[in-house]
Amino acid sequence: MADIKVELTPKQKAGNFLNSFGLIVILIIIFGFFSLIIPNLYFTWPNFRDMIRFSSYVGIGAIGMTFCIMTGNFDISVGSMLALAGVLGASAALKIGGIAGVLITIVVAAFLGFINGLFVTKLKIPAFITTLGMLFIFRAVAYIYTNNTPQYIQDRFWIFLGNGNFLGLPLPIYIMAICYLIAYLMLRKAPIGRYILAVGTNSRAAALSGINVDNVKILVFTLIGVFVGVAAVLNGSMLGAANPGMMGDGWEFQVITAVVLGGTALAGGSGSLGGTLLAALIIIFLKTGMSNAQVNSYWQQVATGVVLILAVSLNKLKFYLIGQTQ
Amino acid sequence: MVKFLKLYEKIGIFILIIAASIFLAAVSPNFRNLDTILSIIQQGCYGAIIAFGMTFAITSGGFDLSVEAVMGLTSVIIAMLIPSLGFAGSIIIAILASCFVGLINGVLITRMGISPLIATLAMQVILRGASLLITNGRQVVISQKSFMLIGATKLFGIPTPILYMVVLFIIFFILLNQTSFGRHVAASGSNEQAAKMSGLNVTFIKTIVYILVAFSASIVGIIRTSQALIGIPTMAPGFTLNVLTITILGGTSLAGGRGNLIGTLFAGIFISMIYYGLNLLNVQIFYQMLAVGITLLFALFIDGLRMRYLEVAKIKGIRI
Repeated sequence: MADIKVELTPKQKAGNFLNSFGLIVILIIIFGFFSLIIPNLYFTWPNFRDMIRFSSYVGIGAIGMTFCIMTGNFDISVGSMLALAGVLGASAALKIGGIAGVLITIVVAAFLGFINGLFVTKLKIPAFITTLGMLFIFRAVAYIYTNNTPQYIQDRFWIFLGNGNFLGLPLPIYIMAICYLIAYLMLRKAPIGRYILAVGTNSRAAALSGINVDNVKILVFTLIGVFVGVAAVLNGSMLGAANPGMMGDGWEFQVITAVVLGGTALAGGSGSLGGTLLAALIIIFLKTGMSNAQVNSYWQQVATGVVLILAVSLNKLKFYLIGQTQ
Repeated sequence: MVKFLKLYEKIGIFILIIAASIFLAAVSPNFRNLDTILSIIQQGCYGAIIAFGMTFAITSGGFDLSVEAVMGLTSVIIAMLIPSLGFAGSIIIAILASCFVGLINGVLITRMGISPLIATLAMQVILRGASLLITNGRQVVISQKSFMLIGATKLFGIPTPILYMVVLFIIFFILLNQTSFGRHVAASGSNEQAAKMSGLNVTFIKTIVYILVAFSASIVGIIRTSQALIGIPTMAPGFTLNVLTITILGGTSLAGGRGNLIGTLFAGIFISMIYYGLNLLNVQIFYQMLAVGITLLFALFIDGLRMRYLEVAKIKGIRI
């Protein structure tokens, strides 16, 4: 049989290019741009290393969110979840030690995610608004529990997790790599990954083919909690304290931007973890660059909003060029 | 059950209000005089006014998370422009700017097909940044004391914000229930495809809806600025949650297609009663956050029940 060659239209070629290399090109452009204008601050190995280290905070949180958006849901409570788990873990660490504190942070966050999942599936109300309510409830509980005082983290093990080095590289980079590896294996090699994509593509069809849609969603929300817990441990460690008001404030915005910029379709059913990781790097590279170039912080805030809208538009453009409708 | 939920939709919020009134009257002697009641209604009317706009947005099948930032923007614009343009000019410009924000929201959502969640969330962050940029992060004091007349006085013994609320309620109520525009909004929300096929310009209708939301938010921004006599770029953080809670508690279904403005009005007052009760207990402000969040979950629970039973009723062929 003769090979069948599919001729791609220029539009589709552009779409495919955007799909595969768009994020890398954006990352290189941003890095190149800031390296040119502030070479002595930006284009240095310590700065590069620190940027990747800081990106672990957004990058790890975005893993769970990628799963969640793949199922067609949303969780905007992650910032408050981070704060509540962080303050509970940090105050526990003072009493029963750092390792227990770290574990408690992760378990608490997973439990909070589980509660979100229960509300979303059993009450059948849209996830974004449930989690919007939770955003305020978690934050309020964090305030009330700590009486609005920061919980300091002095435990050496916990501090080491966020600030230590191993083989010349910061520890958070390894932790992020392990998280992504586990998530990748779950998504591409394990049945749960197929279930997640099936639920996101067509939850009715998934239910009819015997997938317990509710359980998959609950698991996804719990997974968000687990990854948020890991991010809370790293964030607390880097800052040396868990502050009920400041911790994770506006973080949900960065996390959602990372996932959307990474190419995960808001309607669910498709997406990639690699894209999310690259997008998390883009966000941190841009943010650090703007700070180093002494851009007014209010301009930075405007820029983050514009980046999110551009990211969604870019996704739309990509799907339009390839010829799929989202 | 369907009958019960239908009944709840009509009178549920009144039952809540009566129960709360009995409770408050029992524990607080102050509650029994008119001034207290008026002040509770006044505290409730800020959320209620924006929730009128939000009722339209949710009825049309969307919603708007940028309202609190629109309030901040309005406040800042007024404070910056009053010295040069006077009261009327600065208020008109602030309202126009807010309506323009609503227009952009509408265009992003309808023309570019971005989901309301992402579009208005991004807009909120952008507007907060922009408001802070305008004043360079400071709060701007308004030196003309007479600007207070707009929001901090009484007319015929009634605080002016309540009068604004009544006027806006009448306008929005007529718009939603007595005009073809209101029916078109509901039609776009309950079944967008069908609305398009029957020749409605859904894009236009939804854009107008987002302008209405931003308009109502700017009115509250003006009232609050007038009371504080300060332009505050970070005005009312977290207020969007109040507004959404009021709207859903009032019986406007998240599924779209049914707006209940009377419910919205009284839900605003109910939330204010909760605040009053919490103040009596002398608890920290964080408990108010907690209370509003829990009230939202309760309202969502009722709404979820209602959607589920209405679905069952439809399958069984019960007329509703």
